[in-house]
Amino acid sequence: MTETPRISAGQIGRSIPRVEARAKVTGTAEYIHNLRLPGMLWAKICRSTVPHGRIRHIDTSAAAAITGVQRIVTAADIRNVIAEPYYGPAFHDQPILAEEKVRHVGEPVAAVLAADPRIAEQAAQAIIVDYEPLPAVYDEVEALTSSVFVHDQLKPAGTFADLKHLAGRRDTNIALDFHLRRGDVEKAFAAAEQVFEHTFRTQQTMHTPLEPHVAVADVRDGAAVIHSSTQNPSFVRIEIARLLGWPENRVRVKTAFLGGGFGAKVYVKVEALAVALSMLAGRPVKIALTMEEQFFTISRHASTFRIKSAVDKEGRITARHCEVFYNGGAYADIGPRVAQKSGFTAAGPYDIPNVAIDSFEIYTNRPPAGAFRGFGMPQLVWAYECHADLIARGLGIDAVEFRRKNLLREGMPHATGTIMRDAATAAVLDRLAQRIGWGQPFNRGNGTLRRGRGIAFGLKAAISPTTSVATVAIAADGSCTVYCGTVDMGQGSTTAMAQIAAETLELDAEAVRVVAPDTDVTPYDMGTLGSRSTFHMGHAVRLAAEEAKAKLAALAAETGVPPGTNLPLAELFRRKYGMQAGTVVGSGSYLPSYVSPDHATGMTPNATPFWMVGGSAAEIEIDTETGQVRVLRLVTVADAGTPVNPRIVETQLTGAAIQHLGMTLFENMEFTDGQLRNPNFAEYKIPGIRDLPEQLTGEIVDAVQQSGPYGAKGVGETGTFAVAPAIANAIHDAVGVRLMELPITPEAVYRALRTAAGDPLGDT
Amino acid sequence: MSAAPRTIRFTLNGSAVEATFPPHLSLIELLREQFDLFGARESCGQGLCGCCTVLVDGNAVSSCLYLAAFADGAEILTVEHLARDGRLDPVQQAFIEAGAFQCGFCTPGFVLMTKQLLDDHPDPTDDQIGHYLSGNLCRCGTYPEIIAAVLDASHCLTVSL
Amino acid sequence: MSPFALEEPASLAEALALLDPDDPGARAIAGGTALMLMMKSGLYRPQRLVSLRRLGPALTGIHTAADGGIEIGAMVRLADIERSGKVRAAAPVIAETLLTHSNVRVRNVATLGGNLAHADPHMDLPPVLIALGATVRVTGPAGERSIAIEDLVTGYLETVLANNELITAVSIPPQTGRRATYAKVTARTADDWPALGLAVSVHAEDGVVRDARIAIGAATETARRLPQAEAALAGRAVTDTTLREAGRAAAAEAPVVADHHGSVAYKRVLIEVHLQRALRRVLDGAAR
Ligand SMILES: Cc1cc2nc3c(=O)[nH]c(=O)nc-3n(C[C@H](O)[C@H](O)[C@H](O)COP(=O)(O)OP(=O)(O)OC[C@H]3O[C@@H](n4cnc5c(N)ncnc54)[C@H](O)[C@@H]3O)c2cc1C
Ligand code: FES
Ligand code: FES
Repeated sequence: MTETPRISAGQIGRSIPRVEARAKVTGTAEYIHNLRLPGMLWAKICRSTVPHGRIRHIDTSAAAAITGVQRIVTAADIRNVIAEPYYGPAFHDQPILAEEKVRHVGEPVAAVLAADPRIAEQAAQAIIVDYEPLPAVYDEVEALTSSVFVHDQLKPAGTFADLKHLAGRRDTNIALDFHLRRGDVEKAFAAAEQVFEHTFRTQQTMHTPLEPHVAVADVRDGAAVIHSSTQNPSFVRIEIARLLGWPENRVRVKTAFLGGGFGAKVYVKVEALAVALSMLAGRPVKIALTMEEQFFTISRHASTFRIKSAVDKEGRITARHCEVFYNGGAYADIGPRVAQKSGFTAAGPYDIPNVAIDSFEIYTNRPPAGAFRGFGMPQLVWAYECHADLIARGLGIDAVEFRRKNLLREGMPHATGTIMRDAATAAVLDRLAQRIGWGQPFNRGNGTLRRGRGIAFGLKAAISPTTSVATVAIAADGSCTVYCGTVDMGQGSTTAMAQIAAETLELDAEAVRVVAPDTDVTPYDMGTLGSRSTFHMGHAVRLAAEEAKAKLAALAAETGVPPGTNLPLAELFRRKYGMQAGTVVGSGSYLPSYVSPDHATGMTPNATPFWMVGGSAAEIEIDTETGQVRVLRLVTVADAGTPVNPRIVETQLTGAAIQHLGMTLFENMEFTDGQLRNPNFAEYKIPGIRDLPEQLTGEIVDAVQQSGPYGAKGVGETGTFAVAPAIANAIHDAVGVRLMELPITPEAVYRALRTAAGDPLGDT
Repeated sequence: MSAAPRTIRFTLNGSAVEATFPPHLSLIELLREQFDLFGARESCGQGLCGCCTVLVDGNAVSSCLYLAAFADGAEILTVEHLARDGRLDPVQQAFIEAGAFQCGFCTPGFVLMTKQLLDDHPDPTDDQIGHYLSGNLCRCGTYPEIIAAVLDASHCLTVSL
Repeated sequence: MSPFALEEPASLAEALALLDPDDPGARAIAGGTALMLMMKSGLYRPQRLVSLRRLGPALTGIHTAADGGIEIGAMVRLADIERSGKVRAAAPVIAETLLTHSNVRVRNVATLGGNLAHADPHMDLPPVLIALGATVRVTGPAGERSIAIEDLVTGYLETVLANNELITAVSIPPQTGRRATYAKVTARTADDWPALGLAVSVHAEDGVVRDARIAIGAATETARRLPQAEAALAGRAVTDTTLREAGRAAAAEAPVVADHHGSVAYKRVLIEVHLQRALRRVLDGAAR
């Protein structure tokens, strides 16, 4: 590597438009949604109509009679091509098509193949399945003690050593339990001046990326090619290779731009079925879910969080006990990791000497829950920041003052024992307070319109250990291509990686090309998830670019170019190869250091490569006659280290905040007896342009992630953390009532007001 | 009798075309399957997200809820027709400059609805922007930037009038 | 969608002949926005659709009558009604209602006839048209008849129309001296279906209500008038007490049903509050 001190090439901190901007506004950007292959068949899925049941019989005769139907496939057929057809990142619990039993409404039971998607659809609807209904369990707390078991036995994937002890456990709905113990919690509670205890709940929600899940599989001649809207092509490759018993190099996974992901498209979703169907049909097969089908595929956990804090005379939190129950639905997906990797931060951004955390991933007969932008954090922050406000009120201390007093600051140990580094908790809290005008008088409304303000913030640990690998190639004309498996689903990674490579190689970011992930071409990457890419892949791209740069320097030396000469790269190649020929390739691999938490205590000196701090402050107005909440101002502030592209970072923050305004006020997967009543945009309402707060801002504080590439770190999730508690705290400020559950509907607010007035509203 | 394929003629992005298809085809299916136009996309399938927006005789419609047969004799414009001779439409340019998209899946729909808005109201009020664009959804939450793009484009169009 | 036959007759008579009172598998299609949704979800699988697009100008006109009333053809698109100067002059509340009705793309396609025949309880125009005292003109094999809008719908997606009867026009009587407004109350996003649709049309003079027509939609199984609330207003001076009594009467008499948007009790609260506010708006002259 070069010894010369690096002078900034000025590519970091540039708010250039996304490199693919033109393709996106002209409608030519590539999405797998658009892909058709010659000879391709369409698959449509027949789904379970019962939440829990034994499959007695599948009658495909009417479907088979429809002209144009190529093939109807059930679980038995899948076994002919995949011997053990169960998949999942943490547990191998999910069948490609239901075998013997169904465990949630909407579970795939059979698939129909036809050249015309309309015929496949019609036939899928004509399949008649006879179920023997079984008792079912839906609530995460009930499932703890229920005699109904969603699975007979736990089947953890071999990939994770720390899950091995769960193998073979029977008669439980607890897929995973995580525990953290620090200090002496019981003693601290016994000695407390005051104890506060609350239970908060959140609802099940769905990511609803506008491009629904889609995969096209083409398996032939002993090789599988899968075009997928996946957020982690490398994982899909590994998992499909495992299912097929093939080496990785016979499985190729390609992506394009994703029409949104938000965590819905991590790990295997429709790919395994597409592969099996292509093998059975001997032709390429496309599965493109509808918006409705997405709701049965993956979701965000509903949750119950019991939180209890001990406080001393000075208003310091001396102990906290957190019991978090994540409703994982019928299949674990990545839920166990949510329970564990978010679970350990459940005590919040506070310095608390005695902490006990018990976090559970629970099976129920609902559609599966997995990762959703924030990875369990919005549920946690909702509870601990509402709780913080209630404590401050109980103590008669200003809510921001209370937080400052208890703040987990730089250099202090986190509940895990890890010393806090580069987590701008104080700066974020201060900026929030400043932006919302905390402590200053404001118009509190009058009559039936009342206004209030609230603040909330949270702390997330980036998930570890994870690896990214990248290569950077310099062609003989000097042009630069980056090969990395980071998937651009709107977060702007293509642009950010171009900027990082350009910074290292002293080029213009606009001149760098970043290829779309293709596991035959782009090296391993753990996945585009958990806000990890800027940090991990950013490092890998930087390392690859540095290596390429060093090789170019060596080439210059070899060809006798004196140091400091400003020779165009193309000339360098020509000198070496005698014509426009050759490629210089640099590669970079990045794995941050990490120490696994102790199994019994959850303690570790190195819990995470970086911390994410994000908060929101809200000013709201309530119509006390109807409970209608209007959000007047929503300020979101984050520590994003040094932003690679400040404008994209701000858009990430406001975008995440708007999305979570939906979770706060509108979105709710509504069930009656396990039947989802609203799997569509007519009844599952996401925010539109008329739902925006009157003022909406997203901003970052001055911060540097010392260990990050050019000081950067991830930010994709940070804006999601604290929207809900900020709004609930503002409501409390305005009208003195506390909402303990999401979403905060006008009716819920109105009922709370009536209850507080001693005149509760009945049902009719 | 008329469940059989029918043949219609219409103008598509300025060219006279003919297509033969069964009556139960939607316009978006026709555009994708027979004309390789992928700028309009089916997402919600219910008329609510606007990803499938195309113009029929100058009026924006959800092509996911529009029978292909109703295109008979009509003039259909898709997002592909906006950039002419390599030059972007001012609305498209404004979307780039304002950074008015993230994943981009909703973008052609928003661009076409913005065209419709500015055709009807060259200098739109906040309410008019809300009324025209409330039928389009952006799950990435890029609305503030979209509003900025609309105002930019309006400014650019009214100045150049 | 499952396959079906599509007919495109050129006259009303032909269209009627293609429909059969005993065959629900054949239906009219106008804009198709509602039907497409039903067909895509598998809720309705027709054998044959009869398009009304080519029936000619008889169904696409907007005519002002000498008395100031107005007649709107069944095939007039909602967007054209929204922009029509004649409609705005006769009943401005219609254009105001359409602004937040569905969205621009739906209004560019959906027709007035399809809107009324669809009979989804959450629709916005039925309560408005009821409050305006409108009627539909219907033609069947036996000839023509007129039906008051409040008598048209009998239940969820059900009307009094025979399967071979078609709506040809909507007549709105003159609104001389009246002011009307419509409150679309959504409980979730702004573009949601209403939890409550409330239309009022009032004739008031010298601070006294001469006559009020109040119609409700969305919160009830079908759109309907609220006679007791109307009675609470008729002949009464406009005071807070009068309005409150009307609000209470409306909340008490409406046969409210619960749904995604709220419980029965909560919708009654919305009725009581929003009726008073709507009345205030029209009576204070801030007519919408
Ligand atoms: C995205 C979306 C949002 C919507 N939002 C709203 C909203 O906010 N408020 C609201 O009120 N509505 C809303 N709607 C419903 C909308 O108003 C109806 O879909 C539309 O008005 C139906 O008109 P159409 O011409 O498309 O009817 P079609 O779909 O063609 O027909 C509907 C029904 O009417 C019958 N029919 C059609 N014409 C006649 C006729 N002349 N005589 C007898 N029967 C006839 C058909 O057989 C069919 O049963 C929404 C719809 C969509 C798709
Ligand atoms: S796909 Fe047509 S409007 Fe959503
Ligand atoms: S940019 Fe992703 S949906 Fe709008």
